[in-house]
Amino acid sequence: MKHILVCVKAVPVSTSVEVDGQHRLKRDGASLQWNIADESALEAAFRLTDEGGGVTVLTMGPPKLEGILTELLAKGARRAVLITDRLMAGADTRATAKVLAAAAEKLGPFDAIFCGCKAIDGETGQVPGELAAVLKLPCVSNVERIEMSGDGLIVARRIENGIQDMEVAGPVVVSFSSYSYPLRLAGILGMRRARKTVVEVLAAADLGLSPEDCGLKGSLTKVVAVEPRFPGLRRGPKETDMEAGVQRLCGILREVRR
Amino acid sequence: MISQNALHHAEKCRFCWMCRHLCPVQHQTGKELNTPRAKGLLLSMVNKKAQNFDKDMAQAMYECLLCDACTNDCATGYQPPLFIREARTEAVVSETAPESVMKLIENIETTGNIFGDEKPSYGQDGTDVLVYVGEVAAIKVPEMAKNLLALLAKAGVSAKVLEKEPASGVMLGDLMGYTEEVRQQAAVCAKAINETNLPVVVLDSYDAEIMTQEYPEWDCELTNGVVTATAFVAKLLEEKRLEASVALGDVGACHDDDRLARTFHEFTPVRKIAVAAGYELREMFNHEKLAKSCGTAVSYGYMPELVARIARGRWDDLIRTDAKAMLVANPESWLCLNLCVPKGYQLVDLFGALL
Repeated sequence: MKHILVCVKAVPVSTSVEVDGQHRLKRDGASLQWNIADESALEAAFRLTDEGGGVTVLTMGPPKLEGILTELLAKGARRAVLITDRLMAGADTRATAKVLAAAAEKLGPFDAIFCGCKAIDGETGQVPGELAAVLKLPCVSNVERIEMSGDGLIVARRIENGIQDMEVAGPVVVSFSSYSYPLRLAGILGMRRARKTVVEVLAAADLGLSPEDCGLKGSLTKVVAVEPRFPGLRRGPKETDMEAGVQRLCGILREVRR
Repeated sequence: MISQNALHHAEKCRFCWMCRHLCPVQHQTGKELNTPRAKGLLLSMVNKKAQNFDKDMAQAMYECLLCDACTNDCATGYQPPLFIREARTEAVVSETAPESVMKLIENIETTGNIFGDEKPSYGQDGTDVLVYVGEVAAIKVPEMAKNLLALLAKAGVSAKVLEKEPASGVMLGDLMGYTEEVRQQAAVCAKAINETNLPVVVLDSYDAEIMTQEYPEWDCELTNGVVTATAFVAKLLEEKRLEASVALGDVGACHDDDRLARTFHEFTPVRKIAVAAGYELREMFNHEKLAKSCGTAVSYGYMPELVARIARGRWDDLIRTDAKAMLVANPESWLCLNLCVPKGYQLVDLFGALL
C-alpha cells in the first residue's frame, strides 16, 4: 500500500452534549476528540505504510478542527485536509459520503480508503458503505485485523458468529471496529515536523459541489426529534450500600430490557 | 499542541482552590503560579492566544511533582497532571524546557536513566519471580534493592533480576509527557519482562504505576502480572514465610509514597511491614490517600534545592508526631528524604528493617 486516505470524525469529549433547534449536535462549544474507531483505522493505515507510502487524513467539520488535525500530523500523517463550509452543516450520512467522495477524488488516487465502522455520536455506521457506493469501490466492514498480501490485503472482519478472513484487492473502502488498533502516541520529532506542515482547508466550491449536494439540502434524511432514551432513569435515591446498589442496578437493567 | 481532552481538564475549574492547599510545591514556595489551577489557567490563556508558551511558562510546568494530590481532592474530577504532562511535551517540542530538564533527557538517551550512570549487575537468576529494581534503587539507593532481594531469599523466594534491566519509561514520561519515545521505551521493557515468563515484583511504585496504568493502553501489557514490592512482602508475612521482629518500642511513621497511595490505594502493606519490623506507629498529617509527596528522583534531578525544601516539609510533619523514625519502602522517597534528615531522627528502609 502506498497511499491510504483515512476519514476521521471529531466527536464530543463529554457525553453531556446539547442539540440545537434543528436537532443537530452543538459542536462549537464542545471539546472534541477523534472518534475511537477512526483512530483504529488511522493506526492500521500507519502500520501498512510504515515501510513506505503515506497517509492522508481527511475530516469534515468546523474550522477549529484545523488545530486538532495537527495532532494527527504529529502522529505520522503526511497530509491533513479539512473540509469546512457552512453549507455543509446538518449533513446526513448520504450528504457526508458525497462530500468525502468528492474530496477523495480530488486528493487521490489512493490505494485504499480507511474509516471507522461508526462514530460514537451518530452511531449510524452508514458512511463507509455509502462512500464506497459513491466511489463505485468494494467495501469491507468491521475489520479487526489487516495485513498486506502482495498488492492486496488480507483482512479479518468481525461477523455475527465469528471472524471472517478475506483477501481483497485495492482500491477498496475498509471500515475498522473500535479498539482494533490503539492509535500510537506522537513523538517529539513528529510534533516538530507537524508544526511545519500546513493543514489544507477545502470548501464545497473547491470540490465542485453545489449547495444542493451539501448539508441539509443534500440530505435524504432529517432528524425530526431527539429525546432521552430512558427519561427519568437517572433520578432516584443514591445508593451507598453495595448490596442494595447491585440489587437496584439489576432491577433497572431488567426494566430497560423489557 | 495541547490536546482537547487536556484543555477540557484545564478549563473546567470551579475555582474552589482546594488544590492550592494540597500542593506540596505550593506549600514550600507560596507562589500562586505553583498551584495546579494556575497552571491550568496559563494553558487556557495560551489556547486563547492571550499568552505565548514561553520559558517562564515551561518552568512553571516543571515545578510540579505529578503527585496527583490535586486530582485526588478535586470536587469536579479534573486531573491537572494530565495537562501538565502535555505542557511538558509542548516545552520539549518548542525548546522552552529548562536546560536542567534537557540535560536529564540527554542522560536518558545515552544511558537509559537520568543519572547518566550504568546500572549494576545483581547476578540473580531465580525462577519464582522477576524483581524489577528500577533506576533510582539501582543507582542511588542500592541498599534498598539489596535488602529487598535478601528479604525474598530469606523467605525462600527465588528471584531473578534482568542482567540489563531496561528503563520502564516513567522518568522520560515525567520529563516530557507521554510521547511515542516513552511508549517505545515501555515496549522494550515489557518485551524483556514478558520473555522471562515470571510475575514481576516492582520495587519502585513509580515504575509499577506506568506498568499497570499505561502499558496496557500502549499495547505492551505485562502478561504475567505486576505486584508492588510492599504488597508482595506483606503477603509473605501473612503466609508466615517471613517472621516479625520483636517490638523494641521504637516509634515511627510510615511515609505513604504518593503513587502507591493514590494509584494503587495501597496503605496497609507498608504498615504491616513496619509493625512486623517492630515499630510502634504514628500517623503524619496527610497520610494514606491524602499522602503528601516528599519529592521524586526526576524532580530532584532538575530542581534539587526545591525538592530538599519539600522533603524538609515532610520531616516537619514527622516531627509534629512523637515518632523518631521516618519509615519508607520506596527508593524515590528515600532519595529525597535523605537530603535533610533532622538531627535525632532516622530514615528507615523498611525492607532492611525487616531483615
